[in-house]
Order: sequence, then structure tokens, then C-alpha cells
Amino acid sequence: MALMQIAEPGQSPLPHTVRRAVGIDLGTTNSLVAAVRGGRSQVLVDESGAAMLPSVVSYAGGSPQVGAAALAGAADHPADTLVSVKRFMGRGQKDALADAARSHYQLAAEEGFVRFVTRAGKVSPVEASAEILKVLHRRAVSTLGGDLDGAVITVPAYFDDAQRQATKDAAKLAGLKVLRLLNEPTAAAVAYGLDAGEEGVIAVYDLGGGTFDISILRLHRGVFEVLATGGDTVLGGDDFDAALAAWLRQQAGDPALSAGEARALQSVARAAKEQLSADERVSVDLSRVFAGGPAVEISRDTFEGLIQPLVKQTLRACRRCLRDAELEQDVDNVVMVGGSTRVPLVRAAVGDFFAREPLVDIDPDQVVAVGAAIQADILVGNQPDGELLLLDVIPLSLGIETMGGLVEKIVPRNTTIPVTRAQEFTTYKDGQTALAVHIVQGERELVDDCRSLARFELRGIPPMVAGAARILVTYQVDADGLLNVSATEETTGAEASVTVKPSFGLSDDEVATMLTESFSHASEDMSARQLAETRLSGWQLLDGMRAALEADGDALLTAEERAELETGMTRLQELLNTEDREAIKAQTETLGRQSEAFAARRMDKSIRQALTGVSLESLDEGAPQ
Amino acid sequence: MSSPDFKQNYFELFDLPVAFSVDTAALGARYRQLQGEMHPDRYAGKSDLEQRLAVQYSSRVNEAYNTLRHPLSRALYLLELVGISGEDVSRQQVDGGFLMMQMELREKLESLGELVDPDTVLEHLITEIGDDLRVLRGTFATAYGAGEHSAAAAACVKMQYLDKLLREAEQLEAELSEKRA
Repeated sequence: MALMQIAEPGQSPLPHTVRRAVGIDLGTTNSLVAAVRGGRSQVLVDESGAAMLPSVVSYAGGSPQVGAAALAGAADHPADTLVSVKRFMGRGQKDALADAARSHYQLAAEEGFVRFVTRAGKVSPVEASAEILKVLHRRAVSTLGGDLDGAVITVPAYFDDAQRQATKDAAKLAGLKVLRLLNEPTAAAVAYGLDAGEEGVIAVYDLGGGTFDISILRLHRGVFEVLATGGDTVLGGDDFDAALAAWLRQQAGDPALSAGEARALQSVARAAKEQLSADERVSVDLSRVFAGGPAVEISRDTFEGLIQPLVKQTLRACRRCLRDAELEQDVDNVVMVGGSTRVPLVRAAVGDFFAREPLVDIDPDQVVAVGAAIQADILVGNQPDGELLLLDVIPLSLGIETMGGLVEKIVPRNTTIPVTRAQEFTTYKDGQTALAVHIVQGERELVDDCRSLARFELRGIPPMVAGAARILVTYQVDADGLLNVSATEETTGAEASVTVKPSFGLSDDEVATMLTESFSHASEDMSARQLAETRLSGWQLLDGMRAALEADGDALLTAEERAELETGMTRLQELLNTEDREAIKAQTETLGRQSEAFAARRMDKSIRQALTGVSLESLDEGAPQ
Repeated sequence: MSSPDFKQNYFELFDLPVAFSVDTAALGARYRQLQGEMHPDRYAGKSDLEQRLAVQYSSRVNEAYNTLRHPLSRALYLLELVGISGEDVSRQQVDGGFLMMQMELREKLESLGELVDPDTVLEHLITEIGDDLRVLRGTFATAYGAGEHSAAAAACVKMQYLDKLLREAEQLEAELSEKRA
């Protein structure tokens, strides 16, 4: 049913070509990459055999260093070593300050979003994350033996629009083609669901380094339907470490610590936390943190007392999420995700809460990447008969600012995506030609209590008397959970242009500039590369259209329509033999537009065929809701 | 969008008779079937245009599913199909007896904080509202089925009142259980 299939220039698409796709878990503490190989999804390891890449970027020595080596220098170069960067993704100055104080970073004092001041200059969280992704990208290319056709990147379900956009931008900067942003709990459910062939209601409890997510899903014949999702974007295992570090420091008599010592204390605390998952008590040698530091003994009981409030906080979110899911039955399975679910207290508390023994068969650090790789494999078309489908939801309500700083909700949280909502505005002054709209995300009633996503300015409204214009603004949240806005004046049909100014994050232009800059650092010839890319998309369009015309040209096009398309194809074919990149690009775009109606007709036809071809009964033998 | 599938109303799209009573199992199965064909994930490797269309189609299926799934939005949609808008419904006159009952329920809800055992009272209240809603849904279904649209609209506006009250009561219940935890 494809109009435009992806194929090499001049070749016909081969149905059995296996495409290279990966799932990437861009984590707060560690990141992983996985791929489906030989029918199984598995994580890819580096040359030393390690799967986990510490999400640490060091700018201490000129060019950025990523992973274990960067982590090793964290104590010596606290301000130049960026850890837990994910906490800063897509966040504004105000939100980030508290975190920065704890993490010993210097933030650039600028309006808008956060930049870290390092020895190598100002670095945005997006750029730092891109460095991590580049390492995983290279690892995948060398392991899989060639360029990637695409990647699925996971994000916490609770990420808002700005945080998702920042993640997608980082992937673009790392040269990855993003097939989909996938919610981490959904990815974990996929990893388990397919393995076990389970049916029923699944709760995914995901406690990572810096974020907590809870999702409730229903799995029914390969369709994962997310019923509700909730969580806390700034609660995770790092907070366990911090609580333990604070306690250790207190035991040592509250000494003043340098930034480097504080970092060292944090990592000593982390090691102690991990050891306490196996042992009842451990001794912590604080002389490794600062000169003359004592040895402090801590029992698991004491540790559990320290983290109890945090664990309770996660269970409160679970309770809210269960309520939102409006279940009429119990949860059948509980899936544990994230390294912090190794803590025995967490397992016990979650097991008690859901009255189910949690599933821990798949390594909780790897399960998200494993699930993401399965989704990536499907999205690039390696599993044509795969039944798997993920129906996800928007985690936080979208709204707009109205009179008096109040929020009017447009899309309530837990609405299945993609979703499109339209809203009508009018002008309040004679001859008014512009209108400002402020979009926020969150559950509170006051604009000031929600996250500001973007301000839109609608321009080009035809001048009319006040109240006569009818401006229809359409908000569309796509399958990545990202918002797009368009506007039309209905009485005249004029399209009002929408200027998006993201509140925190990069504009499209900024991303483009960064991309160009990163390309210009590379030694390869830019113009040759651009010409090759332009030609490739031209060839792809031509190949796709030839196949489409052969299959449906007679049935779906009039003779005139067909002739028009064929003229355009001939023109493109001629241009592809020249070096004129601009002309090739222009004709590819023109032909693409000309073929839109044909593509839409083909899609409608194939959907109708698919829907009438299968009777409802055979799909679903009276399975109860 | 020009797709012929979407000229249909939500009930036709879901292969269901235009009526208040809905087979929820069939609704869910058809929903999964439609998304199986139209979800953007099915068009991940296709052209931008196809992906954009898939987002529109899939959104429309989600919208239809959400409307049909919940009794109140289903009732409002059924009235819309016979030319009675949401605004028309809100303008419906409500009889004094119903308003009295509403006020009593609301007072009970608001004075809950002063009680020693708010949970039991709240539980009763929620059951009571739920029962009243069920009766109203029956009234709506019968009236709509008989083509008595204004009677259906009258039942629908009462459903709206009670639905709002029920959501407030449930919110309160959530807050109470949060406090206990």
C-alpha cells in the first residue's frame, strides 16, 4: 500500500531487505542502545563488553568526552562534568536552579532555557545529550555494520512537550533519524508483553535515576493501549543517593565540602545504596571523600527509613494513576523498570500496593531499550505481519491562557494520541489583524502554576469589524506527543500564519544552525553531501510514483491527472542527471505536492480494503472489555 | 479530509447502530481494528503526506471512540446528530424537584469535611448519584429511541448536572484517601 517506498536509487524496493533500526534509552544516569538481531531484541555492547553508557559528558579537556572516562573525572572537574543532564532537558532557568545548586553547575544567566558554563564554553542540555547519543549511534553503526535507517528514542511518559522536543532535537544533532519518541513504561511493557504473550492489564513502575513514571496499560491481541500515566519528572534514585549522602555527612559532623568532595560523597553514597540491596549493613569510608573522614556504618533499616518518604511519594502517584485508568478489574501484572527498583524496599512496597509479585525477569536497566528496539524494528518495516500496535496518551493537559491568567483546557491528560482539537476565536477590536495565544501544559487552574510551552502569534487575519472574524485554531498532538498548531480564518478562508516561540528550548532555526555548525566541523565536502541527499530523495519519489502509477494509476486517476504527473516525473528525471541541486529540490517538492491527492486516494482505498476484508467477528471473538 | 470513511458519523465509522445503548466489546474491538489500519505507526516509513493523513485519520478515530465510550458525551453527540447543539442542551429548563435534589446533594458534599466519618457518607453519596444517573440514562435512551428529542435533551441536561457532581465527589474521595495514605 505504499506510495513512496524507500529504496536505493534506480533499484526496485526489495520486500525482504532487513533495515537497521535501534532503540535508545537515553537515561538520566545510564544510556543504552538495543536492536533486534536474529529475531531477538538485545542490547549492544561497546568494545569492552559494557552495555551501559554512563550519561556523563565531560568538557574538562577540549573536546567532549562521554561515559565511564568522563565519570571518572567528575570529582576533579565538577563544573565541567555534566551528569544527569536529562533533568535539565527542555526546562527553564527557574525550574533548573534548584537542581543546579545540588549538582554544582554554573548556569548561564540568560533568558529562556538553560545553558551550562563549562571550560569549553556554554553548553545546552540538548548538545550534551547529543554527545551521548553520538556515542551510541557510532556503537550501533559499527555493531550492525552500516548506517541506521532509524531510531526509537525513549522518554519518560511524564515528559512535557518541551522536554520531548528537546530530546528529539538532541537525536537530530546526533545524526539520528527519529522514527518515534516512545514512552519508557510503554517500551518496558512491550519487552515483557511480547515475550510472555500476556493479555490483560499491566502496571509499569519505572523508577530511574532521575525520574519516576507509572503507567497502566491494557494488552489485547497485540495492541497496547495506555489507559493512564503519571509520575514525577524530578524524583528518582539520585534522590536516594542524595538522602543517604546528607545522612552520611551529618554523621561525620556536617563538614563543609568542596564541589569535588560533594560529588565524591554522592558516588560513595550510591555505592553504599547498591551494596545495601544485597547486604544488611555496610561500612562507608568517608576518608575517601575528605581528609580525616570517619568510617560510618549504616544498616538497611536506617537506609530504608531515609528513603521511605520518597517511596511513599511514588505510591501516591500510582494511586492517582490507577484512578485515572478507571479500571473495573485488578492489575494482572506489574513490571519493574529502572535500576532503583533493585532496592528491596521498593520491590516490597510496590508488591504490597498492587498485591502482585512484580516481574523482574528482564534486567530493569535494559528492559526499556529492549522494548524500544522491538518498536523500531516494526516501524522500519522489518515485521510486515506484526500485529503490535502502541496506543499512547498525552501525560499532561494542554491548555491556553484566558482572561485573568486562567487556563482553559484543550486536551485533558490521558487522552489517546494522536489527537486533534479545534477552537474558535474572534477579534475584539475593529480591523484587528493579529491575535496572541499562550499555550501551557499542566493540571492547575492558574497559568502561573503550569509550564509555559509556547506563545503563538496569529497574523494576517483579514481586517473586519470586531467579533466578525472566526479564527479556527487547530491543535494537533502527534504520535510522539508533540504539539503542532495551525489557524484559518473561516469566513474568508485565509490561513493565518502561526509563529511559534518555544518558551524553553530551541526554535527550528536554532536546531538548523547547530546542525550546520556540526556538519562544518566534519571534514567532508558539504555541497557534495547535500547534492547526494537531494538526489536520493528525488529518486525515491520517482521510484515510489512509478510503482504507485502501475498499481493504481488507471483506477484512481483521470487521463489528465495522470498526464500531468507523468510530465512532472519526466522533468524530475531530466534534472536528476544534472548537478543543479536547487532545481532538483524544487521539482521534487513540486511533484510531491502534485501527487498529494493521488497519495490520499491510494491511502483511503487501502484502508477501506483492509477494513472490509476482515470481519469484526473473526478479529475478536466476543472478547469482553 | 476527503476520505469517504470520514463523511460517516461516529456510529457508522464504528459499525454500530445509531442508538444510546452501545455494545462496548464491539466498540473496543472496532477501535483497535481501525487504529490497526490508520495509526501513524503504520506509516512510519511512508511519505510525509501519508504520515500527516494518518495522524488526521487516527485522531478522528480517537475522537469518535472517546465520544462513544462515555455515556454523557455519547448522549450529547446523539442530540447533535438530530440538530440539538450542546448550547441548546444547556439552555433546557430543569424542573424544580430536580434542582432541589441537586442542591441537597451538593450541600451534603460541601458539609462532608465536618463529619467524623466522611468516607461512609461519601460512599453513600456516590452510590446515590450513580443510581440517579443510571435512571436518567434509561430515560434518555427510551426518549431518544422514540424520537422524542426534547425529552431526551431534558434528560441529558440532568445527566450533565449529575455527572459534574459525581466527578466532584470522586475527586473528594481521592483527596480523602490521599490524606489517609
